Amino acid sequence: MTTPLSLLWIIQLAPILAFLSIQVLPKLAKKIAPLVGILCSLAAASASLKLLSIYSHGQNLPQQFIHPWLKIADGKISPTFITENATLVVGFLIDPLNLLMITLVTTITFFVQLFSYYYMAEDPSRPRYFAFLSFFSFSMTGLVLSSNLLQTFLFWELVGLTSYLLIGFWYEKQSAATAARKAFVLNRLGDLGFYLGVILLFLLFGSLNFLDLKSDSLRQALSPALLTLIGVLVFMGVMGKSAQFPFHAWLPDAMEGPTPVSALIHSATMVAAGVFLLSRAFGLFSASEQTLFVVLVIGSLTAFVGASLATIQRDIKKIMAYSTVSQLGLMVMAIGAGSPTAGIFHLSTHAYFKALLFLTAGAFIHKFHTNDIWEIGRKGGKKDLLAVVFLIIGLVSLCGVPPFAGFFSKDMILETLKEKNSFFYWVAVFVSFLTVYYSTRLFLVVFLSKITQPRHAEGLAHHDSFALKFCRAVPLISLASISLFVGFLSTPFFHHKILHWLGGHEAPLNPELLATTAILILAGGGLAFLQFKNPEEAETKLENDKGPLKILLDRKFFIDDFYAFLTKKVALSLAAILNWFDRTVINGLMVNQTSFSVMRLGRVASLLQNGRLQDYLSMALGVGVVIIFYLINPKGF
Amino acid sequence: MSQSLQSYLVVSSALFSIGIFGLLMRRNLVAILISLELVLNSASINFLAFNKFCMPNKVTGQVFVIFIIALAAAEVCIALSLILWLSRRKNSINIEDAKELKG
Repeated sequence: MTTPLSLLWIIQLAPILAFLSIQVLPKLAKKIAPLVGILCSLAAASASLKLLSIYSHGQNLPQQFIHPWLKIADGKISPTFITENATLVVGFLIDPLNLLMITLVTTITFFVQLFSYYYMAEDPSRPRYFAFLSFFSFSMTGLVLSSNLLQTFLFWELVGLTSYLLIGFWYEKQSAATAARKAFVLNRLGDLGFYLGVILLFLLFGSLNFLDLKSDSLRQALSPALLTLIGVLVFMGVMGKSAQFPFHAWLPDAMEGPTPVSALIHSATMVAAGVFLLSRAFGLFSASEQTLFVVLVIGSLTAFVGASLATIQRDIKKIMAYSTVSQLGLMVMAIGAGSPTAGIFHLSTHAYFKALLFLTAGAFIHKFHTNDIWEIGRKGGKKDLLAVVFLIIGLVSLCGVPPFAGFFSKDMILETLKEKNSFFYWVAVFVSFLTVYYSTRLFLVVFLSKITQPRHAEGLAHHDSFALKFCRAVPLISLASISLFVGFLSTPFFHHKILHWLGGHEAPLNPELLATTAILILAGGGLAFLQFKNPEEAETKLENDKGPLKILLDRKFFIDDFYAFLTKKVALSLAAILNWFDRTVINGLMVNQTSFSVMRLGRVASLLQNGRLQDYLSMALGVGVVIIFYLINPKGF
Repeated sequence: MSQSLQSYLVVSSALFSIGIFGLLMRRNLVAILISLELVLNSASINFLAFNKFCMPNKVTGQVFVIFIIALAAAEVCIALSLILWLSRRKNSINIEDAKELKG
């Protein structure tokens, strides 16, 4: 049972088993659905930890377990390009990147499922929720473990589907249904590019296996222009899934889903799948300098847009969503600058502390029934000591305060960017400054607001059972301790374990960067403190601010307006033209005119049938005479 | 005029033309019926004439004519009954009044 392959099968199949068994549970037994989900995710998490411990010394890696699936015979598709043994395979691939990611995915899934037991305790459609969550976890593990691009694409679509289902979980709410649709459509736009890229790559290169996608062999096989094209097409999929500019608009709206879903799917795992793919297929992207430059530019735009929009939001989940967008941008920037190690390292620290932040937000929302940070403050957010402590841990980790996890990974990104290009370095620095600013703002507003509407007696009476308290506290505590701890894995105390694993090199702590970070934290925190030390005043000021910057941020850089213009004006007028064409030309001119002319012809012909015997007779005679003349002398006609 | 084939044919075609003329121009159904008889008779004359002048030893034409006469009798029988029925129904035997079957 403990061979790597069987462990892989457990990781892959436990969630789908949970999904199926929840589906077939009889109605009376639906109550145990959360238990099924939690147990199966626990199985997957422990299997992945076991797998991690087997391979922790990094021998025999990378290892593949593959099986041929489709053999494409020579010359069947495209006689000039396909090599002889173009075979599509299915299978698992294990290497350090996968191991790290699969551990991250399964552990966070487990914690989120546990927390969901608390968060969704009163929801009547709990079984559906846990079924979808398990299905998501199945798709996500499939995505992470897959050995080739096509298999990745299949699971990529499945996570997109589950994300759609879970964003629209409360589908009776109009806004949730719209948000789900928006996420689905924007993701499809990106995935179209991804799919085209995969097809092109297979046709021209003949293999989709990650182990074959080395930049040297790609450069030998394909021209630079083609490589750039394929790279950018595949990157489009990443842009959709990882909410990169200009496709980022779906992620903040996706917060309509239940909060644990946002923690799992829309911050820790699914949106990180894009970043994962970038480093998984890094050979493909790094084969062309232009592709990497596009990645870098898109990443920095995303980081900037996300961070600046996070500064004015009032909704705690929206703040975190925009913060996720900007952090994803930072990861993509790091990979664009040529260092997948930094990107993935930030991905893993970010996954833990952002999941922690979202779960904390969920704890607030569940308790105070509001998303607005001012409301939470007024209703006594600071009284919930456990949540406030974890909020602080999450936020300082996000800001990159040493020695929290975010510090190590963010520093690594800044260092990479500094070596690469000073302009992008300053973009990242500015983004970090904004991050500190909005984190401090969030904290101050919750913590310093005067409690004016304490929760009423009934709210206090609503005391939770031990199981609920347990399910609320354990995930928060575990995630918090992981985000405290995980950063140290990159320090000399732990022999740079993560970095060695990811194939990077250790870097000494750079005093200059340390100073930059300190200044950033002081500046951002100070600015936020000056503005928000009195949250009530700041609120009125925020409401009344009508400056151009505020308007620009309020309208989200007009990106949503642009999409609205695209759909409402462009698409609808195109549809109107097509509608007119269909109604007048196709239907009116072709279909209706055909039937009308047949009717008219019939009416003319019916004039012959006038009912007068002698007219019929003369007609018959006339025709008879003509026939007779023809018979007598055929040549005369 | 001598008794040649042509003279018979002239008589029969005269009869035929008169019959067709009557068929097309008369409005009275009985007159149309009579014209039809003329057309049939002209055909009978043709049969007899050709029988007499072309194959005098055989009686094929005469047999045909007997058939035509029988047919004409049957036809008159049916047509007259139809006309009678029409005159009862419409109180007229004008063909203009019987055109319900127009398209």
